[in-house]
Amino acid sequence: MADEDRGKNAEDNVGAGASPASDSPVVPDPIGELAGKPLIISVQHFCLHDGPGIRSLVFFKGCPLRCAWCQNPETWRAQAEIAFKAHLCIGCGTCVDACPHGALAEIGRRDAERCRLCFTCTEACPSEALHRFGLPLSVEDVLARLRPEFPLFKTSGGGVTLSGGEPSLFPGFATALATALRAEDVHVAMETSGRFSPYRTAQLLRHLDLLLYDVKVFDDGLHQKLCGASNERIKANLRELAAAAKGDEVPALWPRLPLIPDMTDARENLLDWAAFLLKLGIDSLTLIPYHRLGASKRGWLGLEAEPDISELSDSRIEYARALLADAGLRVFMPGEEKWDGLQPGPA
Amino acid sequence: MDERTSRTLAPRPDLKPFPERTERISAIRYELLSTPYSICLERPKLFDRFARSPKGKAARQEHPLVRRAQALAYVFSQRRPHVYPDELIVGNMTSKRIASNYYQEGGSVNIVEDVWRLKHRAIPLHLSLGEKAYLVSVAARKGVTSVGGRAMLRPGRVSHFIDIFRAKRHFVTEEAGVGHQVGDYRMVVHEGLRSVDEEAARRLESGTMPDGVELTKDQEAFFRSVRIAIEGIRQMAANLAGEAERQAQEPGISLERREELLEIAQACRWVPYEPARTFQEGLQAIWLVHIAFNLEDFEQGLSFGRLDQILYPLYLADIEEGRLTEEPACEILASFCLKACETLPLYSERIDKFFSGGGVAQAITVGGTDAEGRDVANELTGLILDSYAQVLTREPALHVRVHPDTPDWLMRKAVQVIQLGTSRPSLFGDPAVVRALETAGMSTEHARDYAVIGCVEMASQGRTYNSSDAALFNLPLCLELALNQGRRFPGKRAGQRKRMGAATPPVSEMKSFEDVLAAFRAQVADGVADMVKVITWLEEAYRIWRPTPVNSILTQGCMQSGKDVTWGGGFYDYTSVQAAGLADTGDSLYALMRVVFDEKRFSLPEFVEILKSDFRDHEPLRVELATRFPRYGNGDPEVDAMTQVAADMYSDAVISHHNSRGGLYIPGFYSMTCHIGFGRKTGALPDGRHAGARLSNGLAPADGTERQGPTAVLRSAASLDSSKWSNCCALNMKFHKGLVQGETGVRALSSLFRNYFDQGGMQVQVNVLDADMLRAAKEDPKLYPDLVVRVAGYCAYFNDLQPAAKDEIIERTAHGIG
Ligand code: SF4
Ligand code: SF4
Repeated sequence: MADEDRGKNAEDNVGAGASPASDSPVVPDPIGELAGKPLIISVQHFCLHDGPGIRSLVFFKGCPLRCAWCQNPETWRAQAEIAFKAHLCIGCGTCVDACPHGALAEIGRRDAERCRLCFTCTEACPSEALHRFGLPLSVEDVLARLRPEFPLFKTSGGGVTLSGGEPSLFPGFATALATALRAEDVHVAMETSGRFSPYRTAQLLRHLDLLLYDVKVFDDGLHQKLCGASNERIKANLRELAAAAKGDEVPALWPRLPLIPDMTDARENLLDWAAFLLKLGIDSLTLIPYHRLGASKRGWLGLEAEPDISELSDSRIEYARALLADAGLRVFMPGEEKWDGLQPGPA
Repeated sequence: MDERTSRTLAPRPDLKPFPERTERISAIRYELLSTPYSICLERPKLFDRFARSPKGKAARQEHPLVRRAQALAYVFSQRRPHVYPDELIVGNMTSKRIASNYYQEGGSVNIVEDVWRLKHRAIPLHLSLGEKAYLVSVAARKGVTSVGGRAMLRPGRVSHFIDIFRAKRHFVTEEAGVGHQVGDYRMVVHEGLRSVDEEAARRLESGTMPDGVELTKDQEAFFRSVRIAIEGIRQMAANLAGEAERQAQEPGISLERREELLEIAQACRWVPYEPARTFQEGLQAIWLVHIAFNLEDFEQGLSFGRLDQILYPLYLADIEEGRLTEEPACEILASFCLKACETLPLYSERIDKFFSGGGVAQAITVGGTDAEGRDVANELTGLILDSYAQVLTREPALHVRVHPDTPDWLMRKAVQVIQLGTSRPSLFGDPAVVRALETAGMSTEHARDYAVIGCVEMASQGRTYNSSDAALFNLPLCLELALNQGRRFPGKRAGQRKRMGAATPPVSEMKSFEDVLAAFRAQVADGVADMVKVITWLEEAYRIWRPTPVNSILTQGCMQSGKDVTWGGGFYDYTSVQAAGLADTGDSLYALMRVVFDEKRFSLPEFVEILKSDFRDHEPLRVELATRFPRYGNGDPEVDAMTQVAADMYSDAVISHHNSRGGLYIPGFYSMTCHIGFGRKTGALPDGRHAGARLSNGLAPADGTERQGPTAVLRSAASLDSSKWSNCCALNMKFHKGLVQGETGVRALSSLFRNYFDQGGMQVQVNVLDADMLRAAKEDPKLYPDLVVRVAGYCAYFNDLQPAAKDEIIERTAHGIG
């Protein structure tokens, strides 16, 4: 792909010491900036809530949105990052001694100006208190981590879900991975924020079986405020995909709505989405209730604490579920979806 | 039992729900769950009374086996019968509703340690003052004549007797009793004890074996013991029948119950001497013989075998003739299951550290194949799982055999029961188990008829005398001994310890990793030999002082040879010894090889000094070894290979021995809770484990080393060659309830385990952690270091969460919402 040449790949960025100086959420323009090789945060196995069957998730690093409620802030920036998990630190000082650039004057305080992201410290840290987010894995590397799980995909009707972050920021890599997987009869799904360039991802979409499509805040003004960017593209993409879904060039579509107290669970927001989806001929939706897992990850990355989001009570979940169901949608909780109607599976 | 765990799954359209617990079952269950535990002293008292009786006095002139049989028959026939309200299967296990039987000739003695604080134990026991005094007096009188006393209170052996109580290198559990058997309940049900009794009578009448050779004194005693024991069992059954008849006549009894009682009485007058005529009689026959079995030796691991196979013909006949339908059949089974709750093992708190929570493990095995390898799952298989889902009690243990043709419905049902959170059933992989049993000399047909003894151990049902839990072995300690010339590392008060193991060379003379392995191998061999020596003394004492006629009736081979099982009468004869700390050993071998020989960061003596000091001033190294080094259980073939090395060294050392009955020694890899007890006595290990910390459990990865999730754990476990593990292994896995509940969980776990067995997996048991367990995990982060909580999109180690987040997860788990 021509696009691939345009962007500097993320790994190069790291090697060149591209400035990780500011941790302020700079939202990259999804259209065209980051078309190179992604960094992979992790590959997780035995996941049951992100598509049919038993799945392995590949977490890409880099996301075009900055949702206020996000609990995986390590997926935001496309560049590699160093997290400091204070609760694991044994205070041995190995990191301070190991840093070749004098960027660690003190345990747990990395001088971002000086740090060259050489990862000497994360390699040296005995306790993994210093943790590197973002590994420059090749498609082959990722495949090697996934391959042992293939038999289980078969017996459980599962597969691989590309997740993140936003995998579509790296269409070249994601396409190569998806094609390789499908060549081995593996079902491939992708989780997406929907904010991608349809032209650059057309090829990728063709090689996916299932698209788990996030729908969050309907009102664009509010979306910009809560998620850091406009949702015009997201809605437009969804519209186009739904229209195309009648053909067989695109994956099955399945929207998922993260239910965030006071952010996405308002009656109006839910009804707007329901109407929008039904109009497109989409009748199923997964509701993902918010779980507060603690602000630890933001702390590890030295980010501001997440906003105080109140607890999501059972009655609020039930209210949202009933509302959407009354509007005419089949509403599921994660992991309980009836995928049967979708008939997902490698073509 | 926690009421919450008893909740059946919410009915869903696509899941056939478990049948509702009937009123009868609820009532019995409630009574059992609200009854405090006690100790029953009827057994020792009756033994005493027999000894003082004229018959008992006369018995002193008899052959020891006849004497033993007479004493047992006296106990069987003189104990008071109790028939409890509502139950369909009768026969009291002790004189109280729930109690331990007291085995004065075996391991029960240890309870005396706790006698003045019984009520304050973690598992309280309720006893009157008089009973306590009696307990102390029996213990004092019988200590010397107990099997352990007879075997070891002799010159040169006493130190070993004391060692049993210190349990460092090994823990010889056989001192307490042999137990652990899957008797020939097929014979009991379908032929009745009459068949055995008549054969014994023929031998005694003719004075010869079937081939015409004259009976020896021992053989004659054997056949007499069989007849005496059977007579005792018959009398016990008759007494129960009498009690049922008496209750049936009581004023105010409901008509319905009266009819039930009369039917019960009829059954007890017929079985187990005659072949059972109905499904209910089949279970009644098994239960009656099971009581005798329990009273004879000790209760541990006495198991029922493949009940779905044994009882199926009776079940079918009842159904076909319209005498029975599914629902009452399920209720009868549930009533049977609840009978198993009437007893519990008697451990002092000290011993409980090694075996806590183990229970008695009266095991039911279902599923699997016939002798030709064809699947045999049937309606009864499902019904047994249904009935367990109604009781959800600590007994019985439940095991499902899985093979490539196991039907999906059975896998699903097994997982549905697992989801209820009692960690039952455990699953066994037929191909791996059968291969390992063939290694131990079983014919393929007999191996395919295996049933689980207790928790995981193995028998071809009705044909095997397996002292299957004879001893537990501290495998990592052998590495410590290998690194210190056969001595444990010095303790806190420094000072050289006495040599305990083989005199292997000092580390300064070990030039290669192979030298270390050689020393380790020598220590394993020496430790195993020491363990075997003690067991051999015990076998001798059993042979003379405590033969087991009931067991011999239920073990094929004995009637054919005229030999008690303790004399080697069983068709297959084994002694099984199990290793604890396998993963810790493999990981330690790997870490030591890398740090010292590959990376040359330290010389071997330097590294050993660090271990001796328990990593004092080397915390970074310890943490690195523990967190950054490859560990078993993550699908990494390089380090898993070391686990195999450790397992093979142990297996080879064990297999090289024969027991004194002419049977084989076979290895197993499980640890009950011995990994905790042994851990306390084991110094620092090269894998970064602190001195005194618990060891890895059975086949599971060491604590906190599971980094790639459950699929990798299963892959590592299945990759090990288990063909020598004829006494099987235990792989414990823990899942957060939120992850594996509902239909998603059913599908996921059944595929996960099928896939594991396809790879050659041998055994797995699953804990689904409920809210209470999570609360405990919050209190003590060491409890489940690898526990992952995973909810859509988010995924984290439980320990990484903030306290408030942990609370939320606990709340959600308690309410059954993801
Ligand atoms: S990555 Fe670590 S070692 Fe490298 S410059 Fe930054 S702080 Fe120093
Ligand atoms: S090396 Fe790791 S454990 Fe040691 S002080 Fe640095 S962050 Fe803490």
